Amino acid sequence: MAKKYTNQELMVICGARLIWDGAVVFAGTGLPVIVSMLAQHTRAPNAKIVYEGGNIDAKNKDLPISVSDPRLMLNCAAALDIRATLGEILQGGYVDIGFIGGAQIDHYGNVNSTVIGKYRRPKIRLPGSGGANDIASLAKNTFIISKLEKRKFVKCDYITSPGHLKGGNSRQKAGLRGNGPKYIITDLCVFDFDPRSKKARIKSLHPGVTKKMVLKNMRWRPIVPWKIPQTKPPTKEELKILREKVDPRKIYLKG
Amino acid sequence: MAFSRELIRQEKHDLHFVSSGPTLHTDLLAGAKVISRMEIAYAGIETVGSAPNIRRRVEEGRLLIEDYTNLAMAMRLYGGALGVPFMPIKSILGSDLETKTTFRSAKEKLALVECPFTRELVCLVPSINPDFGVIQAQRVDTEGNVQIDDAPASDVDGLKASDVKIVLAEEIVSPAVIRRDPKKTAVPGLMVDYIVHAPWGAWPTAMYNCYDYDHEHIKYYANKCETEEGWEQYKREWVDIGEEALMEKIAQKMKTLKARKGLGY
Repeated sequence: MAKKYTNQELMVICGARLIWDGAVVFAGTGLPVIVSMLAQHTRAPNAKIVYEGGNIDAKNKDLPISVSDPRLMLNCAAALDIRATLGEILQGGYVDIGFIGGAQIDHYGNVNSTVIGKYRRPKIRLPGSGGANDIASLAKNTFIISKLEKRKFVKCDYITSPGHLKGGNSRQKAGLRGNGPKYIITDLCVFDFDPRSKKARIKSLHPGVTKKMVLKNMRWRPIVPWKIPQTKPPTKEELKILREKVDPRKIYLKG
Repeated sequence: MAFSRELIRQEKHDLHFVSSGPTLHTDLLAGAKVISRMEIAYAGIETVGSAPNIRRRVEEGRLLIEDYTNLAMAMRLYGGALGVPFMPIKSILGSDLETKTTFRSAKEKLALVECPFTRELVCLVPSINPDFGVIQAQRVDTEGNVQIDDAPASDVDGLKASDVKIVLAEEIVSPAVIRRDPKKTAVPGLMVDYIVHAPWGAWPTAMYNCYDYDHEHIKYYANKCETEEGWEQYKREWVDIGEEALMEKIAQKMKTLKARKGLGY
């Protein structure tokens, strides 16, 4: 039987399933926006989504194209500013899940979204932190979402958003408050982190994906348990809501 | 956007730009080499990806970016508005933002210190007072009182921190309108230096309650500016022609972009 969904759709659905009901979610720009909205429309109707531009507890009808889109105004509980969202709500300790993407991710969940190459004279200049460093520093848990690719799962050229830094208790030593990355959600598998070493570990493999396929698409070696459960395929309902309600114009879903 | 386009027409150059997460307008400024240094947190165009001109200018070595975070920039501006020399935050710690710099020395960029009261590690970021602060708002009255209908990100902090404050607005109203709903006033007029009537001045970005993003144009822009020639052509066709001609050019589009009642976009 042919697959009835794309890997990107499965990745988004996996992310949404990990958001628990009632969680306060800080959604970074890009895919985290549709992941959080999908969660809100499925198993986490009471999730409170915060966007850094200032919109708090958003229950928007239409998909925003940015994290300060006027679409977020409709039906949100409060429209404040960056100091309120990243300062009072995030730094103040209210955020359960900080959701971010990134261009490079290392095996401690450190993320680069600033430059490829040398910082002062980069080969490629990327958008930069925005609020991602704040989110990764201060949310109780960080969720990272990214396609699994050899050029992305590497040692970071620049650490924009702190993960578990050098592993062990190096994160606490640096003075950071949050617990750091909890999951990396990709289009082939989901990683969690070993509680002691803080190294990434394969948590589940998506349907039809083998350990070998995962390892072939990355430059660092994660912890590979002997037995790894398979990710449940998307349900019809999840796909329907994602395609018809969350992103009908395919602004984020690119296939 | 309108202000940036005019800076380009007046051939301003070598300006030092400060903001948290600016969008498209900074990319125009980078394209026209109006700015050569930036202290910012974000230099992209969301959902489109990288900001093409900023990216090219940085890769050419013509534009230097000192990276901070959105919280850091908002606090630096707020510190400037409050008139205190620095503000403490609990992010940046442990990342490369802490140690790597471009045009500022590490010492000038930030300081990691132990809190004198709790012994906790904190990151101190220097306050800023830009020479000029420019924002676009929904309405301003003839006395300079500014009202903003939606979430202002760090616009208000940025304006308040600046020495000369310039407000562009969709609408200039009488003071009676503002005074009927003073809770909506984001910046009191006694702080504001100049007001400018600039309807559609945020185009092709959105202005809540007024008009939506011109997403099609933003994508066109991003595509076009992948090359220097594309940018030059864009500049001729959409910037050099002047604001009046530009407004005529998009007059048809305005009908579809105009915000709908009850939605605000």
